Amino acid sequence: MARLTTIDWIWAGAFLLLMVGGAALFYRLGRRSESDFFLAGRGLPWWLPASSVFSTHTATDTPMWVTGTVYAHGLRGLWYTFFSAWTAIGAFVSARIFRRSLAYTQAEWQILRFDGLGAELLRGWMAGWQVFMNMFILGWVGMAMGKVGALAFGWPTWVGLVIPTTITAVYTMAAGYWGVVMGDFLQGIVAVFAIVLVSLVGIFAVGGPEDLTRQLVGMGESWRLDAFAFTGWLSGDFPAAWWLTMLIIAVLGGFGMGTSIDWYSEAQRIQSARSVRDASYGLWAGGILTLIRNGFWAASILAFFVLAPGLTEASEFELGWFRLGFELLPAGLVGVFFGAILAIHLSTISSHLNLGALYFTRDLFQRYLHPDSGEETLVWVGRLATLALLVGSFFYGLMMEEITEWLIFALWLMMAGIWLPNILQVVWWRFNAWGYLASWIANLGVAWLVVWVLPAFGVLPALPDYLQFWLLMALGAAVFIPATLLNPPESMDHLVRYYVMTRPLGWWGPVRAEAESRGLLIPLSKRGAFTGSRRSRPVIRRHWASEEAQDWTREDWIAIVVSPVIYALVMVGVAKLLLGHGAGVAMVLLGAGLAVFLFWVIDPKLRAVSEDYERRQAAYLDQLESGLRWEEMDGEMQRTHLSGGGA
Amino acid sequence: MEHGLVTLIGMSIAYLASFIGLAFAYLGWRRRQQSGKSEGEDR
Repeated sequence: MARLTTIDWIWAGAFLLLMVGGAALFYRLGRRSESDFFLAGRGLPWWLPASSVFSTHTATDTPMWVTGTVYAHGLRGLWYTFFSAWTAIGAFVSARIFRRSLAYTQAEWQILRFDGLGAELLRGWMAGWQVFMNMFILGWVGMAMGKVGALAFGWPTWVGLVIPTTITAVYTMAAGYWGVVMGDFLQGIVAVFAIVLVSLVGIFAVGGPEDLTRQLVGMGESWRLDAFAFTGWLSGDFPAAWWLTMLIIAVLGGFGMGTSIDWYSEAQRIQSARSVRDASYGLWAGGILTLIRNGFWAASILAFFVLAPGLTEASEFELGWFRLGFELLPAGLVGVFFGAILAIHLSTISSHLNLGALYFTRDLFQRYLHPDSGEETLVWVGRLATLALLVGSFFYGLMMEEITEWLIFALWLMMAGIWLPNILQVVWWRFNAWGYLASWIANLGVAWLVVWVLPAFGVLPALPDYLQFWLLMALGAAVFIPATLLNPPESMDHLVRYYVMTRPLGWWGPVRAEAESRGLLIPLSKRGAFTGSRRSRPVIRRHWASEEAQDWTREDWIAIVVSPVIYALVMVGVAKLLLGHGAGVAMVLLGAGLAVFLFWVIDPKLRAVSEDYERRQAAYLDQLESGLRWEEMDGEMQRTHLSGGGA
Repeated sequence: MEHGLVTLIGMSIAYLASFIGLAFAYLGWRRRQQSGKSEGEDR
């Protein structure tokens, strides 16, 4: 149990005050409009969404989960965390398409991409799903904080669940997404400091990087230092087939929307960025920060393994990183560490409170219940929805802990059946709303059959998770592909509107041709005549006209290929570097070099894509701000007039 | 509680929430269709 001195409590209190106060200061901005309350007026520079991506995905349960995988699997365990690498491609593909759509939520995007009743049903379905999911995640993360409070201070579990979450809800209700994102920035700084500090303290507690490596080798555990220690192609606890499946799910998932459950919160960060360029960099930087964090954790968990080998129960070793902090840090810094734990908790809670409220307000209340609501009403509905989610999360956390625990597994598995449809809806024009809806519904039955029912009756053996994924995908496809082809495509008018607005990647030939025939786009074959640039195209083009930059070119494909390589190099490289391995230095340097190359290739294009939009956005924000000032001045004049009249 | 049962309960709640959203969507769509029709008849 941790013992905090007076100075520790002062530090922890000061951090809490800084984070909560810093976020609440943005109350005035958050109340301006629905767009401000949920998207910070779509005006954020890339580093704010980036810090928000990082902070949101650094929750109280995250160090437990990463500790669990690395303690059990050594550096191979890092690959379990690599699912978040969908942002490597997502930053340059799905983020660009989604940002251009201007949809507030993924549910809203469905009615831009699809048409008619099918699209509407999808929107309602996804909105209900997301309101539930966010409440569920809040309960889940809240319980993790309850466990940490019990470990560190012997508090009853409800204290850690209820009190920090309620404090978070206060500034989230006051300032909306402005509070979330500004809080995330401050909380991210505190979290990075604590992660680096505790990881280094852990490594040096066993004598430093060289000693750590030497001791692991001496214990006969050298395989833990190898991130590629496969146990065979199909056999053992780390088969190559599992690794390849995970790479495909994570990396190719970046072409789609919703292939990872994280997409839904990132979609909000993408829309809150002030341009396509800021959305891309925000997502990319947030993703790589998350993987660098995992590298730090992995190295320190190996140190924890040396300090406490032979723990067999997950409940014992999952708290390893927290134990390093509470047991090894000196007085004063324990308070900083506790402040950081509060930081990672607050950031995740605030994000999911606001996100769940967004789906309720935008996609259920405004769309179906009160379409004519004014901005003030919508902000208040957002606040009340935040409060309802808060109360609901207590219910989940306290009353349904066991269900919550198992639902985590079930929901992740559920994603298997809709992984491919989530990509097809982005890249294939012919995919339609009925096909996508069919995939969601079919997945419910198929997942149950493959995972529980058929194995229980001996019809199917209990399959490893990677084989379950492929089987679920194939069975799902057997439903959604006929459903797609038996129903007509979306109306061409609708598809052309969507195409011109978002310029999606993939198989969109017929829609592109129609848009060109209507004079909405310049045919590629004629473009050279307008710009004079086709003949003189260099290998890497660095000067773009806005219209030309909208098309997908070799520069985009270079980014798509290079970006996941950077992610993998940096994640494994950081862990190896902290273990004092020369290969780690080489991997980090190579990753950094490739990142510079990536920026050099893609930045001119992203700038050109974003230029027009940024100008329009700036004008809109000016207009909004002057409107607000006018309202305030008007209010002040009325008050002056009234008080003058009274006198 | 048995694992399969708790998962069943949890997933059922998740899908119930989705179906409620879907029902809202259907009712909203039907209302818009009807108001569109009546506007057409008025003209």
